[in-house]
Parts: sequence; C-alpha cells; structure tokens
Amino acid sequence: MDEDLLDYALGYAQSRSVEYAEVRGQSQVLDGFVLRNGVLEEYVSALDSGFCVRIIARGGIGFASTNRWTKKEARSIVDLAFKYARAARRKDAISFAEEKRVETECTVAQRKSIEDVSPEERISSFGEIDKALASCGVKITATLSQCATSLVSKYFVNTEGSRISSFVPRIGAYVFITVAEQGKTEQTHEQFGYSGGWEALDEWNIPEKMVHDAKALRNVMVKGKAVRPGNTDLICGPKVTGIAAHESCGHPMEADRILGREMSQAGRSFIYNGGPYWIGTRIGSDVVTVVDDPTVAHSYGYYAFDDEGVKARRRYLYKNGLINEFLHNRESAAKIGTRSNGSSRSMSYQTEPIVRMANTFVLPGELSEEELVEDVKQGIYIKSFTEWNIDDKRFNQRYVGSEAYVIEKGELKDPVARPVIETTTLKFWMVVDAVSKKVEFDAASCGKGDPEQIAPVYDGGPCIRLRGVYVK
Amino acid sequence: MMDILSKTEEIVEKAKAFGADEVVAKTTFGKYRQTRFSNNQIDITVAWNDYITDVSLAWKKRVVATQINDFQEIDAKIDRLLKLAKASKENPTFGGYAKGSFRYAKSMADKRLPDLEDPSRLILEAIDAAQEKVGSQIESGGILFTGFEDVYLVSSEGPIGVDSRSGVELSIRVFSEREASGHGVECSSTLAGFEPSRAGAKAGEVARMARGPKAGDEGVYDVVFDPLIFGSMLDVWADMVSAFSVLIQSSVFVDKLGQKVAPEIVTLKDNPGAYSLANRVFDDEGMPTRETVFIDRGILKTYLHNTSTAKIFKTETTSNAGLPFPEAWNVEMDPGDVSRDDLFKEVKRGLYLTNTWYTRFQNLAKGDFSTIPRDGIFLIEAGEIKQSLRDLRISDNALSILNNIVAISKERQHVHWWGEAETPSLSPYVLVKDVHITKSR
Repeated sequence: MDEDLLDYALGYAQSRSVEYAEVRGQSQVLDGFVLRNGVLEEYVSALDSGFCVRIIARGGIGFASTNRWTKKEARSIVDLAFKYARAARRKDAISFAEEKRVETECTVAQRKSIEDVSPEERISSFGEIDKALASCGVKITATLSQCATSLVSKYFVNTEGSRISSFVPRIGAYVFITVAEQGKTEQTHEQFGYSGGWEALDEWNIPEKMVHDAKALRNVMVKGKAVRPGNTDLICGPKVTGIAAHESCGHPMEADRILGREMSQAGRSFIYNGGPYWIGTRIGSDVVTVVDDPTVAHSYGYYAFDDEGVKARRRYLYKNGLINEFLHNRESAAKIGTRSNGSSRSMSYQTEPIVRMANTFVLPGELSEEELVEDVKQGIYIKSFTEWNIDDKRFNQRYVGSEAYVIEKGELKDPVARPVIETTTLKFWMVVDAVSKKVEFDAASCGKGDPEQIAPVYDGGPCIRLRGVYVK
Repeated sequence: MMDILSKTEEIVEKAKAFGADEVVAKTTFGKYRQTRFSNNQIDITVAWNDYITDVSLAWKKRVVATQINDFQEIDAKIDRLLKLAKASKENPTFGGYAKGSFRYAKSMADKRLPDLEDPSRLILEAIDAAQEKVGSQIESGGILFTGFEDVYLVSSEGPIGVDSRSGVELSIRVFSEREASGHGVECSSTLAGFEPSRAGAKAGEVARMARGPKAGDEGVYDVVFDPLIFGSMLDVWADMVSAFSVLIQSSVFVDKLGQKVAPEIVTLKDNPGAYSLANRVFDDEGMPTRETVFIDRGILKTYLHNTSTAKIFKTETTSNAGLPFPEAWNVEMDPGDVSRDDLFKEVKRGLYLTNTWYTRFQNLAKGDFSTIPRDGIFLIEAGEIKQSLRDLRISDNALSILNNIVAISKERQHVHWWGEAETPSLSPYVLVKDVHITKSR
C-alpha cells in the first residue's frame, strides 16, 4: 500500500479549512469459490485496493473514495469530500467525541498461512463435504458450498495524529443442503468464520457438522411431530441464544439507530430518549448479561482498533438484565455526551464507518446443559433455527426451530417439527431463569448501512432456559 | 473512450495469448454519489469513483475470474489468472460465453447525474412534500443516490460493446409519531420525469394515515399490497426464477416449467428497459438485452439464463448473464384492469400493507417464509381504510401468495429500495386473498 500517497492526501486535506479529516487505505486480497453438488463452478481471485477520505467542515461530513492511486485523484476526492461536507448546511453541527492519538501496528497471526494454501488444496478441502454427505445414508438432492478468504491490510491516519496499520486475514465458509425424504424436502445451512489462518478448517470439521445436520433434518422429517401451541418451558441452544442476542440485544443498542440515523433503512430502536426503555431499564432477568466484544481472539468479528482509530474493548450491552451501554462511534458518542467504545466499522474503502457489532453473546452461568434440561418437566429444546426475523425497532421477533426436541421429565425425547417462537424482546429475556456454562459461537454476516455493508460477526452464548414461553 | 475500449481489448487479447480458451472483460468507470439524511438534516454525502475491469475466462472448462484496478499490472494479473485456471478444477457444465457480433440499442443514460450541483435540493423537495401532507412536525430520513457508469465489454467470442448506464433514486421515510410512519421511493434512469416530491408526498400521506396505530390481530386476511411492498415480493420471485437458484433448489419454481403457478391475470417479465435503474443494452456476456416473459398468464414459461445455464436446461440464453450466475435485471408485472381505488373497494375486511422488511425462508424450495410489514399497516372494512395497525407479520408461502392474487391495478410504479426490493421492478397495487398474518405473544 502506498502510505506516502495516503499521507499526501491527509496533508492536502489539512491545507483546506477542515475541522477534522481522516484517510484510510484498504487492500483486500480476495479468494473465493463455489461448489455446486461438489463441482467447482468458478474460482475468483482479486486484489481490491483503494482509499477514502472523510472530512468534517462547517459541521457537515463529506466522504469520497477511489481505487485510482494517484496524487491527482487524491486531491480530487479530498476536494469532493470537502465540498460535500460544507454543503450539508446542518442546523446542529456534527462533531466527534474526544479520542486519544494512537500510533500502532497490529496483525492477526496465522498458524497455517492462507497464502500458502494452494487453490487445489482449498477446493479439495471443500470437496470433502460432498463426499461425506454422499456416504452418510441421507438423500441429499442439492448442495452449495462456498469458501472465501480475505487478507485485509489497512492504513489509517487522521488530523489528530493517529496512525494505525493493521493486517487481518479472514476465512469464511457457507454450506447449504437440501434433504429429501418420503417425497418431501427440507433445507438447512451452516456458516463458519475465523480471523486467522487456514487452521480454521481443522477446527470447524465441516463435513462432520453437515452430516450431523443432514441426519438431524431427516430425523425431524421422519419422526418430528407438530407442537401443540401453548406456554411451555424452553431451552435454546447456543445458536438460538446467539441469534436472539444479535437481533434483540446488539442491534437495538446501536447508538446511531437510537439517534435515528438509520431510520430509513435498518430502522430505529425500541430504546430511545424519553421512551420506556433507556440505560438502567430492566429488559431481562438477573441472569442475562449480553456483551459485544471485538477482542475475542480469532473471532470472525475481531479487530484491535476500529475504523476511527479507537481501541476495541468489551461492551456490556445488557448487564444482569439491565440496559447498560450502547454501541458507539465518535459521532454518536458526541451526541449523547459520552466517549466512543470502538464500535465503528467499515467493510471497504468505499464505505463510511458506522456503528456495528463485532461478536455478540450471552455470558455463561454455572450450570451444565444437562442440569438445565433436568429441571424441565415438560418443554422443548430448540437446538438450531431456520427462518428468523425481527421488526425494525428490534422488539417483535420470530425464530423457527430446525433441530428441536421434546423435553419430558428432564430428558430429551422425540424431535419436534418446526416449533415457532414469536415473541417480544422483553418477554424473551425476562423469563430466562438459567444459563449454562459453555459458550459456543456461530459466524454470521450482519447487514446494515446504505450502501449495505456486510460485516463478519460472531453471535453466540450458552444454552439458556426460559420458563412459560408461548410456542406454536 | 476508445482508449478504454482498446485497453479492455488488450486484456482479452493477452488472456488469449496466455492460453485462455474464452475470455470476457468488462471495464466499468463509475461515478456514484449518495446523500444520506435523517431527522430532517443531511448526515453525510458519499462520493465514490470506481475504475475496474472484471475479467472472466475459461481454460479447458476451468472457470476463473479476477478484477483489474484501473488497468494496473495487466500482464501479471492475467498470468496469475491462467495459473489459477490450470490449478483449478473442471466445471463440466460450463457452456462457454455468448458467441456472435451484435448491434446494440442506443443508451439513454443521463450525463447530468454524476455531478449534480446541489443534491440536497432534491431531498428538501421531498421533505417539503411530506410536510405538506402531514404537517411540519415530522422526522424524516432517507437517501438520494445518483450513479453514472461507462461500460466497455469485449469478449473473445465476438461481442464488443460500449454502454452508458445511469440511475437516480430517492428514498424517504417519514415519521408522524414514534409508531406511525410512511415510506416513499422515486426511481428513474434519468432526471427527466424524476419527481422527489412524489416520494415525499406518498411517505407523508401514509405517515398521516398511520397515526394512532392499535395492535393488530392474527388471522387470515385479504391483503392489498402497495407497489413498494409488492416490489419485495417481485424481488423474491426474481431471485427464484434465476436458473442458478433452480439448480441449487433455492426456488419454488423447481420442476414447474410449463405449469400453472399463478392465476391467468399474472404476467411477469424481466426487462432492463431504458426507464429502469437496471438499464443496459447488453448483459455480462455481451448479449443484447431484451424483454423475457417468464410467467405468461399464470404459466411458468422459462427460467432466466446465461449461456451456461441455458445449455444445462437445453434452451437459449435469455440475456441475463450474470457471470457466473444469471440474474434478473428489472421485473415488470403486467397491469391489471382495475384502478387502485376499485381494488380497495373489492375488500370487505382486509389489510393494506405498504412496506416490509426482513423476509426470511424456512425452506426456499417449499417457499414457507415470513416478513415483517413496516410503515403503514391498515385495516380495511367495506373497501375503506378504518384503522392504523402495528406489530403484525406475514407468515405464508411464496407460491401461495402468487397463486392467491385476485386483482392487479392499472397503476404501476418503478420500485427499488434498500434491503428488501433489491431487484428494480415495475410494481402495481395487488390484492391477494387469504394471507396468513401472525403476531408476537
């Protein structure tokens, strides 16, 4: 990356009447491929490299980017960003919360370097998924497997003297299967993600996981019974805990949403100033603590410094059931009168950094999963989910079980077909009475922003037990 | 301009010289501008310039692709791509790229779009129009986007073409109360006829009607879909009619060619016409684009194809490449024979839904899904809107919705919106019977 050119762009910006300016260069070596039914469709390999400038002037923000690495182009995008910032004509000026100057370099280590893994080895590794599925005894009528690696180098400088270089290698995978049984089909998918090297493949063991999913799906198709709608005890496995944490804890705690900046796209939040929910309001039981933490080593959402140069740290969103701390970038923090907690992320040099989650999960308790189940006379255990969604204020949500079982007298029994939870954030988290001790993570791709930015994240948690939930 | 085309040709020639069997290179020089606003003020204006060449090639049916930034390091990148192809695996279903020489329609792109002098003026027009409908005490947010692309395509199989593509869209959401909102969009390929006030007035009117919402009830309703929310449904079917979706069984249309999938009043087409945000005169293989009827009076006639998927299905490309996968450009639903107002009159007791978000499927092949209406949700009784509602969810089936269409309006609107209506469409008001509605308990 031509850091001298980026320094030049910042210097040129400083020569204008800016209140603040930052320049971010980003180079991404991207490799990806798609297998359909085990056959390679296409292999893509590319270097996407460019830079952007963000300027505050006259209380407005302008942003411009390019992938043409010349001084002339650098001046051109600075001029554009400056022009657009001044044109905003805001009644209330935008400012950034105070932040320390940082000079650092950070790198995520790889045990098996992604660059050293040949295309043949990559394709072959994923070919094993179809081989395993073909011999597992379940009729699979279609598979789609995708693998994507990215080697992301960034260089960030701003007019406050910060200068940060980073390198984060990431690997992501997605597998989608269709299972046929007795003339019917069902589908499931798994997503995997990791910041680090190719060693991730050993840890994931995708073929084994997909065979498990295929057998579980067939089991539901053959033996699964419909739920008799009504209130029942419910145990959510880590996948369900995780999606609920992401959707109904992480998203509503994004300060830009709370302040209305996403009102036209991703929406607002049930949390707002002057409303029934704010910092200190109870939203869950005492045993519910949900955090967002970019510093989880090798997590899919890992970063050491955010895209405004703020050091990453763990954020306690819901703490012992109380709304505790919003996710902030420097703009939202200034508006609320606090400091950024390092939640500003941008997925490309073409996009502005906005408030994002990283890895959102429920903190563990002290019970084992078995102990959670033992204390349920009659209930349902939902291990994984298929359809899910939540409204744009992040209050009304729905999760449809994929792998799920009846619990009777403290034991797992027959599978249940497509149990549905359709409830509110408050009702869901208030009736959690126990949390198991083992946290598991799932990779996910979180969409937000316009143009949409897909952020790699983890969501997760332990098993949680809810009492008296309406399931249909 | 010719210099860019020459450089694009050079990439194809070099790839052939390095040993590629077939090559397509598409250079896009794009200028995109977006102004975002919320709480009635401009938050940021974003400008991005893009100079990129997408290169796809095949060597012994090994299919690989890369991007070249601003014509930098062409030799090294093509050399690396060929090495990648040789290390890759054969795709037996690769059917080659489109062959032939073609004459293309003239682009109607609007060269004024990339550098509008004062984009905030258009936003203020929309906000003013909303305030005229609902009063000055509103909160509004949204975007104004403009884009202009010069596109140069060269294929080793004959096609060579130059196109200009442009688009402008304004999206505005207006809140008249915390739980009462409306959304409007205005989309066009050019500034001619582009009226931001139309989107603002629509958003304002819906926000006004949505005041004082009550919790809605579960049940089975006849539903009038606004063009905006129906654009989201058209987006679902557009994805599912891509031949690749069919191949991976992510579609309710698997094995349904020639079958009735909708009532006779339903005709759906793909058409990247000059008016649409998807305007283009050739696809990504260089085939001249055209109108493709995929549901003709209720019968599923074809999937959308590129050359490779067409060969798999033993048919011809529909000019929907998409490399490596075919995609819909712009879906049009044929108009019906009733006015919007008459369509409402047909509803004894039902709902009027204006927008939605977060559509997710249990099973894409079966089509079971749910989606969450947002902005105005209204109870209709005896053909008239009686009450604003909130907190409801459509929990139904994509094929059932299509099958249960009972009336389509004459009026249609060009729709495109963040997230849910990603495929541009020409969408009418549509009455669908027996739609399943659920809510939180």
